[in-house]
Amino acid sequence: MNKPYMGKILMVDLSNGTMTEEAITDSVYEQYLSGMGLGAYILFNRMPAGADPLGPDNILGFCSGLLTGTGSYFSGRWTLVGKSPLTGGWGDANCGGTFSPAIKRCGYDAIFFKGISSNPVYLYVKNGKATLQDATALWGQDAVETEEALKKQYGQKAAVAVIGPAGEKVSLISGVCTDKGRIAARSGLGAVMGVKKLKAVVLDGVQRIGAHDPAAMKKLSRHCAKWTNFPMPLSLLPGTMMALMGTFLRVTPVIFAQDGLLYKTILKKWGTGGMNQMSVEMGDSPLKNWNGSNVDFPLKKSRKIDPDIVKKAEIVKYHCYSCPLGCGGICATKGKYSHTHKPEYESVLALGGLCMNEDLDSIFYLNEFLNRAGMDTISAGATAAFAIECYEKGILTKKDTDGLELKWGNTGAIIALIEKMVKREGIGDLLADGSKVAAAKIGRGAEECTVHAGGQEPAMHDGRGDPGFNVHYSVEPTPGRHTIGAHLYYEMFQLWKRVKGLPKPTPLFMKGSKYKINKEKAQASAACSKFMSLGNGAGMCMFGLFLGSKRIPTFDWLNAATGWKFTPEEYMTIGERIQTMKQAFNVKHGIEPKNNFISSRAQGKIPQKEGANKGRFVDVEKLASGYWEQFGWDKNTGKPKDETLRKLGIK
Amino acid sequence: MSYTITEKCNGCGACMRVCPAGAISGEKKKPHKIEVNLCIECGACGRVCPQGGILDAEGVSCAMIKRSEWLKPEITLETCLACGICIDACPVGCLAMSEQPRDKGVDAYPYLKDAKTCIGCGFCSVECPADAIVMQKPVKTQNVTDAKESA
Repeated sequence: MNKPYMGKILMVDLSNGTMTEEAITDSVYEQYLSGMGLGAYILFNRMPAGADPLGPDNILGFCSGLLTGTGSYFSGRWTLVGKSPLTGGWGDANCGGTFSPAIKRCGYDAIFFKGISSNPVYLYVKNGKATLQDATALWGQDAVETEEALKKQYGQKAAVAVIGPAGEKVSLISGVCTDKGRIAARSGLGAVMGVKKLKAVVLDGVQRIGAHDPAAMKKLSRHCAKWTNFPMPLSLLPGTMMALMGTFLRVTPVIFAQDGLLYKTILKKWGTGGMNQMSVEMGDSPLKNWNGSNVDFPLKKSRKIDPDIVKKAEIVKYHCYSCPLGCGGICATKGKYSHTHKPEYESVLALGGLCMNEDLDSIFYLNEFLNRAGMDTISAGATAAFAIECYEKGILTKKDTDGLELKWGNTGAIIALIEKMVKREGIGDLLADGSKVAAAKIGRGAEECTVHAGGQEPAMHDGRGDPGFNVHYSVEPTPGRHTIGAHLYYEMFQLWKRVKGLPKPTPLFMKGSKYKINKEKAQASAACSKFMSLGNGAGMCMFGLFLGSKRIPTFDWLNAATGWKFTPEEYMTIGERIQTMKQAFNVKHGIEPKNNFISSRAQGKIPQKEGANKGRFVDVEKLASGYWEQFGWDKNTGKPKDETLRKLGIK
Repeated sequence: MSYTITEKCNGCGACMRVCPAGAISGEKKKPHKIEVNLCIECGACGRVCPQGGILDAEGVSCAMIKRSEWLKPEITLETCLACGICIDACPVGCLAMSEQPRDKGVDAYPYLKDAKTCIGCGFCSVECPADAIVMQKPVKTQNVTDAKESA
């Protein structure tokens, strides 16, 4: 009871229906924590090299976090892990909601699935008993319908993770849904669940989750809550002011290092959508399939996604488990669906600006439609934008698109296209596996219109505006990932305040200095990766971590929860170990790290001629080399050196 | 650690019916048993046993309490941050997050949705990092019972 982890995993073999409970030794948690770290440990050690991501050897894991349920805040994230069919390498997807504590309440830190079932099934766990149930009747239903049906049967307390029709149809850009619209969307792991014929995981446990020192946990949480609620005058400003702040950040040559308190205020008031217009203005949002800029999408267009307008639809705030901030919301929508989770910034821009779509109602509709289908809004929007560019350039014609007039901003055609993608109908079938796969099938120079990293469409943060994004899109074992590091993230994490030897950013600096390549940048990027790997092992929310390392006491929570006496530096080594193990996983499975670099368009190899990122080029190759060196990975190939693996105890 | 059943058990099954963890088993009119790995120490069995046949984790005998007098959570919304930890901590699912905002604005809040199923374990109160929940005797229900008794 006084350990924060349950000390057990469940391994389900779907091929023969066997279930094995396995004890995990304390030393594994001490080296990898739980969550993504435990997931990496199991997958690296147990999956044979070269396993087919859509074959029986792939292992899909639902992993909770070490701090989940221990009395800490911002610690309700769970990680879905598996070999990604989209990138062919390490895959993971992170999600909030209520599923993370549900895993632990069933007595497990993680539940893994291998093999392939012959007919649709779902896993049901209650009172220490796990069973596989027939899911034939649920197959074909959307994520919300399935969740409602299962909760009707097993009670509202049950936590449910499901795939929608996209996952069932093995779309390589599909994810796994919980809580009627929270989705572990990236890396295409919904397809792995679909091919395994696993429709859902239903967890209804009541086991208690311990902590070494509950009183200390509470004290630390109070400290964190004080900063979460710290009053900021920014919260009084209207959404339009955010847009103007974005304009200011675009034109000013000098910028200041940002404090996470600014961002937490935006999150608290509007959610991630607080950045909608601001990001367009300052050059953070890619537009028109990464070829456009704020000039193409000026204020008079972007004002339709003014955060105040989005907020008007919000009925009540939505908090993930253990979140004192509540950046989510339940919104009313027009049309077919009555409610939807408030569209996140990523969804708004991927389905909006990236396709030059200005219709907010369509964004609300597609957000709910895609959540129900279990398809990644980022990749769906990015693939639609890719298809539009192909059409505009004549690579795709009306004959290919089943008559759809795929022009920039044609809302009706965008909706019809995405509906076809979910159904795998006509052109939708071609596009349902993301832009890289589609481009290879189309040929005729379509590859030129894709923007991806190792097959994964990157998120709506332009690495030409913040070079840190381009580094992480390109070097992470999970390519195309935006939730790990950036120039901005490093400023907000404020790790140098707790971890010895890390560079402190200058409070005021010339914008151009972000593009200079030096050792400090490499150190900062590596620190972000280590810290987020640690965070994902602990089940932490990145938005919470943006508060800054002194205000959100991650390291101290970990010590109070476990009884360990590790220093922040020792915790960073745990993060380093998890990160290196994921990279070693990729090498084991034949991935060449260099092939994961983000497309040259997003690097700015041909620099943009106008807009916030005019003239910017980010030399990913050089930056990657510096980053790899920080980890003790070969600076030319990105492969972990033997001595590095030995030092970290990875065999 | 776990609760245990003593030889006083007459197999009435009341504890088995109230246990939210499915930890108690036994045939009717025969001594029941608590599965150590499943017991979550919520104490509900001890509060319903008419025989006084249940010991808590420290080995102390539990006293039967009328269900109408079981403690219920009182949530102070001024200090509550709507993090939902209490809702998840509840083994019977009697707490829920509001689907409508509190007062004006959009803030959500937790509330006792199903007072009848509450087993008074107090896990919600223990786990709340903001200490926004206290377990109290249900005043209202008590008044009604009192009135009935005096009538």
